[in-house]
Amino acid sequence: MVPAWAVVDVAAIEDTLMTSSKIAMNDMVPAESAPLQTLGAALLAAAMALPLAVHAESAPERGLISLKHLDYLDSQPGDSRIKVRTTALMVLAPITSEWAIGGTLTTDSISGASPAYQSAALTKMRDERHAADTALTRYFPNGSLTLGVNLSSESDYLSRGLSVQATSSNESKNTTWSAGIGFNSDSINPSNKVVADETKRVTALLLGVTQVLTTHDIVLLNLGHSSGRGYFSDPYKFADNRPRDKDSNTLMLRWNHHLEALGATTRLSYRHYADNWGIRSHTLGLEYVQPLRQGWTVAPLLRIYSQSAASFYVLPDAGSYPFAPATQGYYSEDQRVSAFGAHTLGLKVAKQLDADWLVDLKFEQYGQRAGWRLFGSGSPGQMAFNARTVQAGLSRHF
Amino acid sequence: MRTFRIPFKAMASACELVLAVDDEPEAQAMARAAIAEVQRIEAKYSRYQPDSIVSRINAAAGGQAVACDEETWSLLNYADSLYQSSDGLFDITSGVLRRAWNFYDHRLPAPADLDGLRQLIGWRRVEREAQAVRLPEAGMELDFGGFGKEYAADRAGAVLAAKGLRHGYVNLAGDMRVLGPKPDGSSWMIGIQDPRDKTAILATIPVERGGLATSGDYERFFELDGKRYCHILDPRNGQPVTHWRTVSVVAPLAVVAGNCATIAMLKQSDGLAFLEACGMNYLAVDQSGTVHVKRAAQA
Repeated sequence: MVPAWAVVDVAAIEDTLMTSSKIAMNDMVPAESAPLQTLGAALLAAAMALPLAVHAESAPERGLISLKHLDYLDSQPGDSRIKVRTTALMVLAPITSEWAIGGTLTTDSISGASPAYQSAALTKMRDERHAADTALTRYFPNGSLTLGVNLSSESDYLSRGLSVQATSSNESKNTTWSAGIGFNSDSINPSNKVVADETKRVTALLLGVTQVLTTHDIVLLNLGHSSGRGYFSDPYKFADNRPRDKDSNTLMLRWNHHLEALGATTRLSYRHYADNWGIRSHTLGLEYVQPLRQGWTVAPLLRIYSQSAASFYVLPDAGSYPFAPATQGYYSEDQRVSAFGAHTLGLKVAKQLDADWLVDLKFEQYGQRAGWRLFGSGSPGQMAFNARTVQAGLSRHF
Repeated sequence: MRTFRIPFKAMASACELVLAVDDEPEAQAMARAAIAEVQRIEAKYSRYQPDSIVSRINAAAGGQAVACDEETWSLLNYADSLYQSSDGLFDITSGVLRRAWNFYDHRLPAPADLDGLRQLIGWRRVEREAQAVRLPEAGMELDFGGFGKEYAADRAGAVLAAKGLRHGYVNLAGDMRVLGPKPDGSSWMIGIQDPRDKTAILATIPVERGGLATSGDYERFFELDGKRYCHILDPRNGQPVTHWRTVSVVAPLAVVAGNCATIAMLKQSDGLAFLEACGMNYLAVDQSGTVHVKRAAQA
């Protein structure tokens, strides 16, 4: 009589008895054709005596069926005990394929002897698997929590940031809420010593919702607020003295639509920005992503931007040089805080090389003109500004 | 069905459960039960807990027999079968050699120290009767470290199977028990660590079900004058084994996989014959870096 505690993997036995044709004989000695004295079977038989069965909380009937089966076999005369052992041994037979030497295949998990090595390789694997790993993300079934730490350092500027973002989806995953908070602390030590040991601290809040409207439509709404205190001026600009506080709000709307007939996606977005410096801006973006045959994708994009000037923006006045502008208080001649409009025309071409590798080329033509400002006039005296960027990228999917 | 990857720390290592179930509460319930089981075994057979069964047996060395529960008793019987199968190389009384081999000091032990400790080794001398065990000489000790992790992997696997898990696996720092393939029926791809390169994978094997464990000379070691001294010690002479860099075995149970791998390491140049006699799927790399692999048997 095989003791109850010697029955291993109660449920697995029943399952596998149903699908016995699936048992691979690769690793187990088939009972009919080879003697059971082989070392492996002996070791396995010994291991079978370990208490590797656990009382199932559910499905006691299954346990009973298996026991009955084993009982039945055991009651046969002759080499019944061997048959019992054989059946139980067979159902556990591992199902594997051949070893593939060389570490090029994607792995789900790692077997090794050293915990230290384990974590090094696992970390590397995990880093590769989850693309955004400078942040640490913990995934839950209906949400995620991301902790981001960033540190960047240049000879004159040290930036430290910490952010936390959480997302939460409803059951059907059609609605996802996200909320985030970030802190940044920068130290500024310009090499021209105009100022020394200045700091800038910014706190940012983000609230967003993504909603799947139909099988072909997703909309996104993001609200952001940023509050900064400290040194905002540009030390390398001659006439630049900006306020020591900057509070801003942003609102962004995006609509992604899938065009079934073409297999393409359109992405329409609008972003509004306003801060206490008097700058208000609008960004309208339209992108069209068209996948083609052979893994190619083309994506043209158009972006229209317009901003008003900061209240302290002053025209570069060659007349008052080398003295600061006549205005008291804050001033900046930086055209980035002036009123202007800008257009971006871009084209991205990408090719999926194989299951993992993607190569892409992005071409953008940017033009900035005071006269292109919408809803008002641009700052006078601005030079037109054009920029062309070409970017090539190679990426691997994990 | 969704796949959840649940990492946790146990046996001083990074462990994980990968469970493919229908929803989160199910995954959490399974994970809690499996992790609790691993922690139970870790605590029960830990040398470092003074009231664990192992500590009590070791403390009573040279004295009275200590009564064992059924689980411990069956583990001791299993240890005996390992001793027999390995011709005495797998000996759970050989843990005392730890006192001579200090892998932090990078120092070879004095021969006198080794001789003294070798007097305390000898599974045959351990008295087992009526579900009680006695170590006949003070200073002798039992060490379940040689198969504790693999046993815990199988026990965690049994707990998960009892809770209905059909797709997923347990990985306790490299000792694995796979309970079923991915939900779509495809195999889990398991990589084997390169014994000389921390972040490289030496080989990959697709596994649908079974136990997979790896033994190697890189877990704890030091190198002196170009020679590597690892933590797997031959109980007959107290010296580290040198023939294999790493051995991985696939078997129905993680305990069998792990013990076969360790015995192959201990058998050194006879290890290959041993692995062939076991009839299980293996991958072994010797000191020259040559990879020996068991091909799947022809039907």
